[in-house]
Amino acid sequence: MRVYGIVEGARRINDIWKENGVNVRIVITDKRYVSSFQDAYEEFLSKQPLGQAGDFFVNSYVYIPTLAEEGYILDITNYAKAYGKLIDDFYPTLIKACEYKGRLYGLPQDTEARPLYVRKDVAEKIGLDVKTLPEKVRAGEFTWKDVYYWAKKAKDEGYVEWGLIHRKGSAHPDLIQFIFAFGGKLYDEKTGKLVLDVPAVYKWLFVEWKFARDGLIPKDMMAWDWAKQIHPTIVEGKTLFDIGGTWYWTEWQMKKYYHGRSLTPEEVKEWFAYTLFPAGEKGDKPVTLSQPFVWMINSKAGQQNPKYDELKDIYHELAFLVIVKASDPDINAIHSIISAHLPVRKEAAKLLKDETWLEELKRMNVDLDPTVKQNIKDIVEKTVNPINAQFLANVSYMLEYTHLAPAHPKYPALADIFTDAVDKVLRGEMTPEKAVEYVIQKVKADPDLSKNVEIVGKIPENWTFP
Amino acid sequence: MLVMVLIFYLIPLVMTVYLSFTSMKNWNVKYLFDLVGFYNYHRLFYMFQHDPSFKAIVLTTIVFILITLVVNVFGGLGLALGTFFLSDIVGSKFRLLWLLPRIAPIAVYSLVWYYFFHETSIGTLNSILMELGIIHQPIPWGQIIPWGAWSVIIFVNGLVGVSFGMIVFTSALNQIPKELVIAARVDGASAWTISKRILIPLLKWHLLYVLTWQFLSLLTTYCHLFLLVEWNLVNRDYGTTLALYVYNTAFLGGELDQGLAAAVILSVIGVSGGFLTLKLLGFEKMMKRPRGDV
Repeated sequence: MRVYGIVEGARRINDIWKENGVNVRIVITDKRYVSSFQDAYEEFLSKQPLGQAGDFFVNSYVYIPTLAEEGYILDITNYAKAYGKLIDDFYPTLIKACEYKGRLYGLPQDTEARPLYVRKDVAEKIGLDVKTLPEKVRAGEFTWKDVYYWAKKAKDEGYVEWGLIHRKGSAHPDLIQFIFAFGGKLYDEKTGKLVLDVPAVYKWLFVEWKFARDGLIPKDMMAWDWAKQIHPTIVEGKTLFDIGGTWYWTEWQMKKYYHGRSLTPEEVKEWFAYTLFPAGEKGDKPVTLSQPFVWMINSKAGQQNPKYDELKDIYHELAFLVIVKASDPDINAIHSIISAHLPVRKEAAKLLKDETWLEELKRMNVDLDPTVKQNIKDIVEKTVNPINAQFLANVSYMLEYTHLAPAHPKYPALADIFTDAVDKVLRGEMTPEKAVEYVIQKVKADPDLSKNVEIVGKIPENWTFP
Repeated sequence: MLVMVLIFYLIPLVMTVYLSFTSMKNWNVKYLFDLVGFYNYHRLFYMFQHDPSFKAIVLTTIVFILITLVVNVFGGLGLALGTFFLSDIVGSKFRLLWLLPRIAPIAVYSLVWYYFFHETSIGTLNSILMELGIIHQPIPWGQIIPWGAWSVIIFVNGLVGVSFGMIVFTSALNQIPKELVIAARVDGASAWTISKRILIPLLKWHLLYVLTWQFLSLLTTYCHLFLLVEWNLVNRDYGTTLALYVYNTAFLGGELDQGLAAAVILSVIGVSGGFLTLKLLGFEKMMKRPRGDV
């Protein structure tokens, strides 16, 4: 629905015009990226100056500062003033993520949380009570030391191959949660600089290193294959814990990860419990990390029209109206339930709790463009059910604990260095101390990065884990 | 012709050099006249000096170019000579097989080797060896540093490059008068003797051309390497050459200024290396007018 939201929004505006006898039509052509959102960003970046980029752009909020700074996206602050009620209905942290230097550059499209999944049957065998677990994690009583304890117990008693599985290939965004969970920070609001929080990064790398040394996480975790290894290992119950995302919930129902088939909603519910990402240690707080997607408007929207100069303002206002309609509660709620992302509006969250609406959606008895209906029919059939709606309702509290990775142009470079460090400690190529030194050396090696990163704190002495 | 050279070579060259002295980024023309002197070069050399990965990258670049160059040139020569003595039909089919790596889309070709060398039990090579009982634990081929990583990148790129030499040498061999080979055959010369005494000496200039061309290609190639590193198949430091380092630094971060400075340095290395190769191998002799009758 990331693309169909715009298609549907345009149709709704067309319908309103038709009803009111306005003889104007919006025609949407779309381009989708199956490879990566980074590619979509790169393409937008290179085509926008030439006037060849699309009018709408949906991507992560992290690109807003660069795009806004270059003048590539539209400042919608003034348009949004007339829609105060709508803006207030979005969760405030998400609206904040769309701002840059006090100006609004987009509307939230979706967001997510990154729960720690727990395999229920394994937990039961080793005596870990999953019913009380979410509350214990929430209260900061169950920390990463406990994760280690139970992971080791499950492995030692032979119930699982691994104690913990996490993502491959990149430290951002899932593993960055460790920094926040150990009370660290990544960005200093006062200076506008990134922060390399040495104690928190050290503790994070130590946890990874210790899990790998004790055979609780694969040493080559960062090179695992998503479809052939990571997801099958989780759904086949070969790991007790898994750092994942809310979207895993429906991904497991859609993709054939379990011995050549997908899971039923009932199986997912029966096999997996989920909690916040636990606090690093006692005294720290549990966390999650969100990466809101945002509707943005090209600052050259409508430029291909010969009368652009004359109609520029109207075009821009119209483009804003399209993203307003694309944010309609039902469109947002449909996207949430079929992709297991969290709704960005309170009204959409309400719809997800409405069983009658869910039933109508399941029957496709909803007001949607026929093309959109046709394209989402199969996924709606598979994913729209009370179990999935309940899951979204259950995890939405996690947004109260959410952190956002810094929307700083140099953040990707810092995150890449973290990726290397995690890989090196997992493989045992470096101790956590050496890996921290490596990160510092890498940051200092690039004068531009160095200027943008504050290195704070020292490696804690006598710190032990578990 | 001159217009083409101007549009496709001279203008980009001048622009690259000029923009490397600006703060150009995010493809935004507003930085076009924001001159920053040698800052981009200074930043780059500072990184060369202080980046803990840089030593590995330089070493990887040297080893990768030297060994892959040998594989490409002599592999191509071997294939051309080998198929020269086969019948036309068998020879051309065999050569076609060797063209597959070059014909295949880069992503598909790299994916094949990704799964082949994958360091876990899903890797084809590991699963075969484990099935045969030769190994009991999967071997992280591309993560064994430095030679494991180097072997994988050399193997994958070597297979692509070898076909170029093969085509050039095959075409050159077909231009050699058949009488020379037939006469040698009549005198009882073996295929090896014919190759050593007649064919290879006549291919000297082609060898020079392939050697220089492949050297420059290897210096600037990064597509396969990018995917193998990005997919974590090979160690990041020992799977990255200077060309890939330039690409990662410049384009993934949107820092064109930095990338253009690195591209200028890479071009200087390429041009110097190219001249050196041609000088050492006596290129000017090839370009002399033939001494035959006019």
